[in-house]
Amino acid sequence: MKSHHLSWLVISLSFNMGLSAVVQAEALPDKQVELNAKAKQEGQTYLTPAPLSAIPEGEFGDKVRLGYQLFVNSQQMRDAYVGNNLNCSNCHMDAGRRANAAPLWAAYFAYPAYRKKNDKVNSFEERLQGCFTYSMNGKPPGSASKELVALSAYSYWLGMSGLMLQAGVDGAVPELSDSELLKGGKRDEMPLPESIKNVMTLEQRASLPGKGYPKIAKPAQAYSPERGKKVYVAHCQSCHGDDGQGYETLGVYSLPPLWGPQSFNWGAGMHRVNTAAYFIYENMPFGKSYQLSNQDAWDVAAFINAQERPQDPRFKGDIKALKGQYHKHQGYYGSSINGHKELGSKAYPINPKRSD
Amino acid sequence: MSALLMLSTASYAAMPPQAALCGSCHGPQGQGVDPLGPRLAGLPSDYIVKQIKLFQSGKRQNVTMQPMAMTLQGDAIVAVAEYFSAFDVPMVTPHLRGEKAVYKDPTEQLVYQGDWQRVIPACVTCHGPSGHGVGEFPRLAGQQASYIKSQLLAWKEDTRSGDQNGVMATIADKLTSAEIDALAKYFSELK
Repeated sequence: MKSHHLSWLVISLSFNMGLSAVVQAEALPDKQVELNAKAKQEGQTYLTPAPLSAIPEGEFGDKVRLGYQLFVNSQQMRDAYVGNNLNCSNCHMDAGRRANAAPLWAAYFAYPAYRKKNDKVNSFEERLQGCFTYSMNGKPPGSASKELVALSAYSYWLGMSGLMLQAGVDGAVPELSDSELLKGGKRDEMPLPESIKNVMTLEQRASLPGKGYPKIAKPAQAYSPERGKKVYVAHCQSCHGDDGQGYETLGVYSLPPLWGPQSFNWGAGMHRVNTAAYFIYENMPFGKSYQLSNQDAWDVAAFINAQERPQDPRFKGDIKALKGQYHKHQGYYGSSINGHKELGSKAYPINPKRSD
Repeated sequence: MSALLMLSTASYAAMPPQAALCGSCHGPQGQGVDPLGPRLAGLPSDYIVKQIKLFQSGKRQNVTMQPMAMTLQGDAIVAVAEYFSAFDVPMVTPHLRGEKAVYKDPTEQLVYQGDWQRVIPACVTCHGPSGHGVGEFPRLAGQQASYIKSQLLAWKEDTRSGDQNGVMATIADKLTSAEIDALAKYFSELK
């Protein structure tokens, strides 16, 4: 009788937890679910967006330019929408123009996208909001806000100008309304020159070569933060500091903090060891003056991500529950490693003010 | 007037005896003597320490500076570095990335946006807004043009090294001599 009673309690509890998890997922969906990363292929050619000098004059061009400006100086949104010292361009090289560095032109044509995780179609605007919530540790600008319109316009303009150049289509990039811009480019009704439609399918445009960060092979030995620390000291610290906090000059962190209170939070894609390893192998050290080995890239990604950072915004007071729901991937949230008792237990605040 | 002058110099430490020799080419307050010695004032002291050691080890080559650097040993290295580092240099109103999307001047474009077709990042990414300098990255704003040029050439010719992963050498290798001249002029005029 007693044991029956107990099992009823367990079922009831887990039912309640499950229910609250669903509610929670709807309230704050995981918009940074892992991309299906692809390895680089020999001989791939990448889209090349038009130079910024080709952005047209006028209202539409102004939105594109504002998008660029917000992207490279995201700190102008500090406190309003950004809660750390990062700029978008820290992880998207060449202001979102560079292939294999999560270029905006590839991302734009990949949305709207259906996400299994929250069982809904996410627009480009919603994906951008996810960046603010997690990577920027902030509070996203509202739907159709001028910031989201501008960032969408910049992404669209890069992508469309690149497609037009590739297909040899002359003329200016077709101007879209704000509501169209916010949806993203993976739509049948997306206005596109016929010659582009004829050479590429919707799906091909949604997975342009150079999208995201290229997948690299698994390391020969299991990745290790301990070995990664040595890699960090040898190759990373002159830019990111011996404490990983980057460097500030005149209020600007162009050399960004990699962990701690001013970096991306526990919900950001970059906290996954594999995502960071792909990014690092392809894009670091800056300017590609040196090529880390595959093992070194994995190890240093593990070291950087086995450090405390701002809390996962989906946290509701239970690290283990959150770990079970959102952290079933290659990451250290909730783990005891690298001298930490339980990563996440001393996480820094989400969306703090600069003065905090 | 004289009281003001006294006030403004009183905050600086007395010159360590070992710094006197440096002052003959770099100026007693590290202000630089063109073309004998670059400005040291306002450079991060860690950067100066590192450079003295690089001269001593031969990773950075210069016929004058190598024997000069050898005269500094032990605590004197840090003392001299801190002495020159502490002098104020004029503030430059920083130009922030994103203030402009389009740079008509190709030199400014290199400084603030880089040239990623050649994998050249913007200079200001490491050297800070308007080249103010931070950490191991020296201040470029207001430095002598002749010195900036000679150093970019030294990186190119491998007579200067000691940067982590060869970052600066890799970038300098990609710069044309016209770009080097233009960059040297651009930064020297940021005052």
